[in-house]
Amino acid sequence: MSGYLEGVLVLLAINVILAYAAFLPIVAGQLNLGVAGFMATGAYVSAYLTNAHAWLPVPAALAGMGLTAALALVVAVPILRTRGIYLALATFAFGQVVQATILNLNVVGGASGYPVAAHIGAAVIAAFAVVVFVLVYLLFHTRFGISVTAVSDDELVADQMGLSVRWLQTAAFVIGSAIAGLAGALQAHHFSYIEAQGFNVLLSIYIVLYVLLGGTQTIYGPLLGAAVFTLLPELLRGSAQWRYVIFAGLILALMTWRPQGVVTRSLLRRLLDWRRPAAEAA
Amino acid sequence: MLAQQLVNGIMLGSVYALVAVAFTFTMGILRFLNFSIPGIFMVAGMVTWAMLKGGASLFLVVPAALAAGAALSWIVERLTYPQMSRGDHFVPLVSSMAFLILLENLMLVAWGSDQQRVVPPFQSVSARLGDLVIGVPQLLGLVLAVGVVAVLDLVLRRTGVGRGVRAIAEDTETATLLGVSVDRVVPLVFMIGGVFTALAGVLFALNYQQASPFMGEEVALKAISAMVVGGMGNIWGAIVGGLVIGIVETAAIHLFGARTVDIWVYGLLLAILFVRPTGLLGGAIAKGRA
Amino acid sequence: MSPPILALEAVSKSFGGLRVIEDLSFEILPGERVALIGPNGAGKTTAFNLITGVFPVDAGRILLDGADITRLPARKRIRAGLARTFQNVRLLAHLTVLENVMVAQYARNASLAGILQPVNLRAGNRWQRAARAALEAVGLGQYAARPTGGLPYGIQKRVELVRALAAQPRVLLLDEPAAGLNPAETEALREQLETISAGGVTLLVVEHDMHFIGAFCRRVVVLNFGCKIAECDADAVGDDPRVREAYLGNQTAFAHAA
Repeated sequence: MSGYLEGVLVLLAINVILAYAAFLPIVAGQLNLGVAGFMATGAYVSAYLTNAHAWLPVPAALAGMGLTAALALVVAVPILRTRGIYLALATFAFGQVVQATILNLNVVGGASGYPVAAHIGAAVIAAFAVVVFVLVYLLFHTRFGISVTAVSDDELVADQMGLSVRWLQTAAFVIGSAIAGLAGALQAHHFSYIEAQGFNVLLSIYIVLYVLLGGTQTIYGPLLGAAVFTLLPELLRGSAQWRYVIFAGLILALMTWRPQGVVTRSLLRRLLDWRRPAAEAA
Repeated sequence: MLAQQLVNGIMLGSVYALVAVAFTFTMGILRFLNFSIPGIFMVAGMVTWAMLKGGASLFLVVPAALAAGAALSWIVERLTYPQMSRGDHFVPLVSSMAFLILLENLMLVAWGSDQQRVVPPFQSVSARLGDLVIGVPQLLGLVLAVGVVAVLDLVLRRTGVGRGVRAIAEDTETATLLGVSVDRVVPLVFMIGGVFTALAGVLFALNYQQASPFMGEEVALKAISAMVVGGMGNIWGAIVGGLVIGIVETAAIHLFGARTVDIWVYGLLLAILFVRPTGLLGGAIAKGRA
Repeated sequence: MSPPILALEAVSKSFGGLRVIEDLSFEILPGERVALIGPNGAGKTTAFNLITGVFPVDAGRILLDGADITRLPARKRIRAGLARTFQNVRLLAHLTVLENVMVAQYARNASLAGILQPVNLRAGNRWQRAARAALEAVGLGQYAARPTGGLPYGIQKRVELVRALAAQPRVLLLDEPAAGLNPAETEALREQLETISAGGVTLLVVEHDMHFIGAFCRRVVVLNFGCKIAECDADAVGDDPRVREAYLGNQTAFAHAA
């Protein structure tokens, strides 16, 4: 595979993983504008382990993911006491604090950035993307999937129907953040360089936006969102900025005419019926 | 010296205050966090730089920037308000974020990513008060900021339009029943926010002599912290919050270095959200806890 | 006489300075069908909300089958066998009818294993089949895959009842189950409730339709201003002077039931 194509594949794989990192909290009713902060945590923890302590990169990535999950669990306690826009703001503030903290940690490069020596190849990253997809797919199709959607729809009813609302919200938040940490670790070890300035709120916004573009009603929407976001610049050979302008335009168009995103439950149903007309109705 | 830092902080805070007023105004009245505001701030700053570089007089530059602010906010209104009345709560926020991305990247396409140096067409005069140095343009900016907010407050409390705005803040349906022309007042709310933001952008560009496509992210975004610290929905809270953030930032630079600023500014935002989400002055929106 | 399955002992509740439930006590025996009536604002839905744990009580106790559930969190009450429906139907908007029913199944299997049950992975999953069967048993099977949004009000109400039953409760609280239903739907509801009651489930029903109550409930508890003002047999309630006074001379409602 050519170097260029491999680069695109890696970007796609990482964007897919990030898509599911944002997807899980959204399904639970949480807009996580601090995704980049959790991504940064995974990136820097794993990079530090391979650089300073000669860990192998894949175990370091998993350790980075684990520590990100622990951090998410700690902040979930106060953050999940807030709701709606306050929750979004709290995650935004948290992401900013993480980014600024890393900027001041000279042990991992501070403002100059942090070169990463160990390398994770494209095949491994693609494998991780597949594994993340499969695991989230399975999770979404267990009672967990229905339950977090219920919590997002009507917290009072979910509580009255016996669901552990706080536990479900925390689980969605922590698992999503851990997945973001994994994406960060993989990115750090493939592109060999990370800097705090890159893990900013705009990145979180891009991720959330392309997940919403794909659609959050089904498990397939995030895939489409990640694909569109990754492949758009390849299809339009303009500058990077024009890619974002067009992306922003797509979002604005979508929010006006189809805010539920491209892939919806009814669209999925119609696609399945078209391919298997003998499938049971209702 | 600490008192000088305090003065510097207050001057910087007046910029944050204006942007915070824009945020808190749309938040309080329409329950909508308008993420396009940093974009409008940036456009106003860039317009100021570009027009001054082209030799335009300040009397042309300022109205042009304010008009740009109003026009852009009107576009944002068209893209977001119809969805709000449709009942989707996150859609307006998402659209405003997309608009921010649009503005920032259009600027990058037009002028590149470099920070530009703004050359103000007036002398940088300073007043001295004992040991303190107070920049006159900055002082005028502060007076202007407080002044326009005072005018806004009067308009809200004493005029028919103001009453209409407050009615919509309570409940849009009731407002319509009471005869408020919601379709004309809502764009006005957006445009007032846009003009305030643009004014802040002009003041920042002139007083700190810089403009860049990233100034929305780097400067105006901190006004969100100011808004929450002061109390969401409270325009005087936005002034107080803005000054607090200005002082916090200046103190942080002086005591810990410029790289730590965001830790303090956003750490404060996080702390307020956890401990006292209604902010220092309390907001029009009191719920925020489960 | 068997011990009561649901008992309220001197329960009181205030909101701000307003006393909405005052020293309320009553008992319900297993298998009974009891109606909770009273004028608007009497506190009937508040009483339900206290029993199911939406709000904590200020004073008094609530006992479910002898166990004190006064401090038990709401989610544990349905797991203990106490389910309810809502006055303004509250179905979950982003789930299908079938999934709405399945949500309440967790109460029967509340654990980590329960939350990880792969209920939506294959069509043949036993939880899915059980929920589908429950819908089909009351003639709602055709709506299983439909989103709840566009459904007729009467259908939504009946789905909510199937959902509450999916938790296999011993006590079922119904908040105005007949409100907004046409006569045919009301009759279908009455039949459905008969079947549920015959299965041993205790029913506590808030209702205004005295016809419905008279045909279905054996006993009536009457509230006014948050206090119990009377408790009697359904056929005698129309004659009670305190009840008539509470309804401020609304004699026509009682003429039918008597």
